[in-house]
Amino acid sequence: MHRFNLMGVAVCLASTSAVALEQGEYRLNGFGTAAISRVAGADDAKGYGISGQTTDSWRGDQLSKLGGQFSYGLSDQLTATVQTVAKPEQDDWRLQLEWAYLAYAVNDQLTVRAGRLRPNAFMFSETLDVGYSYPWLRLPDEVYSQMPISNYEGADVLYNLPTALGTVGLQASYGQAVNRNIFIHALDDRLDADYKKLLTGSISLATDAIGTFRYSYTESTLSVDHSEEFKGKFMSLGHQYDDGSWVTNAEVINRRSPVSEHDAFYVMVGHRFGDFLPHVTYAQHDEHDAGRDSSWALGLNYSLSANVTLKTEYKRVESNDGYNGSFVPAYNTSEPTFDGDIISVGADFVF
Amino acid sequence: MNHFIQKTLATGLLSFTFSPVQAEVAVIVNPGLAKTPSQAEVANIFLGKDKSLRGIDHKDWNATKETFYAAVASKSEAQLKSYWSGLVFTGKGQPLPSEATDADVLAKVAAQADAIGYVDSTVLNDSVKVLFTLP
Repeated sequence: MHRFNLMGVAVCLASTSAVALEQGEYRLNGFGTAAISRVAGADDAKGYGISGQTTDSWRGDQLSKLGGQFSYGLSDQLTATVQTVAKPEQDDWRLQLEWAYLAYAVNDQLTVRAGRLRPNAFMFSETLDVGYSYPWLRLPDEVYSQMPISNYEGADVLYNLPTALGTVGLQASYGQAVNRNIFIHALDDRLDADYKKLLTGSISLATDAIGTFRYSYTESTLSVDHSEEFKGKFMSLGHQYDDGSWVTNAEVINRRSPVSEHDAFYVMVGHRFGDFLPHVTYAQHDEHDAGRDSSWALGLNYSLSANVTLKTEYKRVESNDGYNGSFVPAYNTSEPTFDGDIISVGADFVF
Repeated sequence: MNHFIQKTLATGLLSFTFSPVQAEVAVIVNPGLAKTPSQAEVANIFLGKDKSLRGIDHKDWNATKETFYAAVASKSEAQLKSYWSGLVFTGKGQPLPSEATDADVLAKVAAQADAIGYVDSTVLNDSVKVLFTLP
């Protein structure tokens, strides 16, 4: 019995904040990832990944991050929230203000928010940094390197409606993200980018029996390195399922602008055996008139406690036609082949 | 011999700790509530998707809470935490208000017209109405 009580105390400490936010109440929550990653056999590349930090040496600065969130109830309907995340961007660790907003709950279904928010462009865009909320250690790079910004300044509207089919969620946002650094793999450098008139709309349906379906559309005017403005569009169609045993995630995205067009998707399937979750993911990315990169990833997660999940992942990436995809080219040969084996080990946690 | 006793004791303690002789879990509402939410609707309320009733949760993870979430949402403690972290860190939800004991949950449900909770069926009395029970 004592043993169980001790566990109870630990759980209690971790969940003391389990009350709704009323006036004068506050919440402090945190999350993080401690993980190392390396790519082997990629002779023609300097690195791999969303911002290219995965190299041939074990490094912690591709996947590791630490975030904290503070919420305060200004009134029973108005809440102020700030979330900062310390994470590496190329070779520097930076403390980023990812969310800073006021949320006004009009009623049980409708919430309006304004401030710095995350664009709900892809299925995991809003929880990008909260590894504990998804099964991978590294989100499929093929899809998630297509959305270069993680936040914007503006406003959004959230609407939730329980129906006979399931819970319908609608979200619409408008804003801009200026003076952002976006990483360009082929250049191994960050460029200054301005996203204006950034508009996102998403609809989701969470059913009891057949999982959650989600569609979103995003458009924006874009200026890179002070270029002329052009228009970019992002679309995503996704599905998530989790019945306690089987876990699946699938998403197909399209990103287009006058400069380029990209199609990408991934399909993930896993099955829980007690505290273990082995899973497999296939991901593919095509850039029109350029080439394709694709990967198979095998992962094994272990739920160490209610707050910590240990994760390991092996990912094999291949590409064709000398296309670099999410690799940073080394420019050491005129006919490069971009492929490699990526191993990642670490832990995701919330507190 | 000593070893044997220790081992037997340990095994006994473990089985007592992790599978206590225990009654069913009853999902309860205020007696004044006219509607009778289905199990799927109860799941939505406790997952924060449906706010038409005020769900009262248990503060600590215990056998009652484990039985409830396994039955209505097919979620373990870690899976529930992962689910809520996706909502908390996107500003889309906060975990429900919670009480420390079965008796406290019962008292809250008895006192609030639109409250819904779940308790070990051994603490039940006439102050609440049972929607359904979970084995």
